[in-house]
Amino acid sequence: MTEPLGLVAVLDLERIELDVFRGHQPGDERQRVFGGQVAAQALVAAGRTVDADRAVHSLHAYFLRPGDPSVPIVYTVDRIRDGRSFTTRRVVGIQHGKAIFNLQASFAVPEEGLEHQDPLPQVPPPDDLPTMEEVLRPVGGPAHAWWDRVGPIEARPITEPAQVVRARGGEGHEVSRLWMRTTEPLPDDPLVHVCAAAFASDMTLLDAVLVRHAMTWDDDLAAGASLDHAMWFHAPFRADQWFLYEQQSGWAGGARGLARGVISTPDGRRVVSVVQEGLLRVRQP
Amino acid sequence: MTPLEELLLVLDLERIEADLFRGRQPEVAGQRVFGGQVAAQALVAAARTVPADRPVHSLHAYFLRPGDPSVPILYEVDRIRDGRSFTTRRVVAVQHGKAIFNLQASFHVEEQGFEHADALPDVPGPEELPTVQEQLADLADEIPAWFVRPRPIEMRYVGEPPLLARRSPEPPGDRTTLWMRAAGAVPDDPVLHVCLVAYASDISLLETAVRPHGLSWGSGDIVGASLDHAMWFHAPFRADGWWLYDQQSPWSGGGRGLAKGAIWTRDGRRVVSVVQEGLVRRARPQS
Repeated sequence: MTEPLGLVAVLDLERIELDVFRGHQPGDERQRVFGGQVAAQALVAAGRTVDADRAVHSLHAYFLRPGDPSVPIVYTVDRIRDGRSFTTRRVVGIQHGKAIFNLQASFAVPEEGLEHQDPLPQVPPPDDLPTMEEVLRPVGGPAHAWWDRVGPIEARPITEPAQVVRARGGEGHEVSRLWMRTTEPLPDDPLVHVCAAAFASDMTLLDAVLVRHAMTWDDDLAAGASLDHAMWFHAPFRADQWFLYEQQSGWAGGARGLARGVISTPDGRRVVSVVQEGLLRVRQP
Repeated sequence: MTPLEELLLVLDLERIEADLFRGRQPEVAGQRVFGGQVAAQALVAAARTVPADRPVHSLHAYFLRPGDPSVPILYEVDRIRDGRSFTTRRVVAVQHGKAIFNLQASFHVEEQGFEHADALPDVPGPEELPTVQEQLADLADEIPAWFVRPRPIEMRYVGEPPLLARRSPEPPGDRTTLWMRAAGAVPDDPVLHVCLVAYASDISLLETAVRPHGLSWGSGDIVGASLDHAMWFHAPFRADGWWLYDQQSPWSGGGRGLAKGAIWTRDGRRVVSVVQEGLVRRARPQS
């Protein structure tokens, strides 16, 4: 077996034509492509067609079909608008002739303006906390196996992961918090950091819906998938340094659930807001 | 014709071809088309190409260029996917050969699942509150006429709207909460109810984003525009019954502001979530 590609290599798209890119698979033996990978690669494609002085400030995407991890993904970019202050792009991720993913993203020149942000929680620093692998080890199962390999992202949970809550028969909770960062250093290109955060943001967000019911993806769902993904990038930050990811869910019903997340830096800057809806079909007993 | 009757006409798109629609403009319009109108018309266009047993559960849209209120808007629907449980549509709104708005929406067959929801805030009912026109009557000479005219959507603020809050010695807070409903009966078609809430949801989000700074729309000190609009529709509801719209701004910076909203029916069902980012530039002082 060959070594899986690292995140930097996965995000380093091959430019086939001016507005056509090819993204390679990490080769980590998943059954379908991880949604965060598609979102991150699509955002790289969009960003490569925009002047570097315009930073991405938002993306809105739909997951249309499961991705096939055995073949690359082709990303076609539509230059919807190049305005004075804003640039808008649409990216379609394609496999086997079909759209698997549809993203819109907007880029803006930096401006000064009004500033405020919600207060951030007081949490223990990452160095004082055990790793996700250590926290999940007593429970075992697929989630532990996932975190037991050296993946692109490492995490240190602050609140109890759903697997642990469920295993001890505990009550669910409303707010989930963890520290995350990439396991390898990233190049200085700010777009790579944003795309790494897009990748990481999809890993645990829907767990915030399930943990309210002390349920887990592997134990309780017959089917689960990210339906959409929306992110707002407020300010530059480094994804290879620890960032705090706070997640909660305001609603679930009809086999769907909505979760929102906030990414902030250890020095207390809110840098990203995230919202995602997921399909969460419960296994019938 | 009442303002609501006119809005229902605006939402009654002309179907030019299977996937091509034309939306008319209201008689009295501002200098540019109201974003909520474009979002609502685009959502009508998308929904008209989807079987009625699949209600819309989300939309994500970008405002690309200001709309011209003197000509109709053309809506082109792209049938991105018709799946077993989900249907996805893209709609591009076009004027003068250019895209002014780009929407994606997803539709889902009805399913059962586990449930939770944030609770309806404990606030006074709409009967105990003044209308926004009554609240702003004393300012009528200073603010755009749009604020005090009868509107298709009735609005009753819990507390003060930003236009008043900024004049108060109390801190303006970061939250804007109001009761809304269509100002009259709406036909039973569920698409209309969803699209009326899409229209209404764009009215007060960005004033929430500037509220913490003691600023407001309609006072000439903010130049702004909706940049995007995202909505999640959790369950069916009627737009002609009261709904509570609770909005808060978690962040602003770099000339932009983010606001989120949650909508409950009067009986406490959480039915819609909204997030919008807007351009919020301080206006240059007039010289």
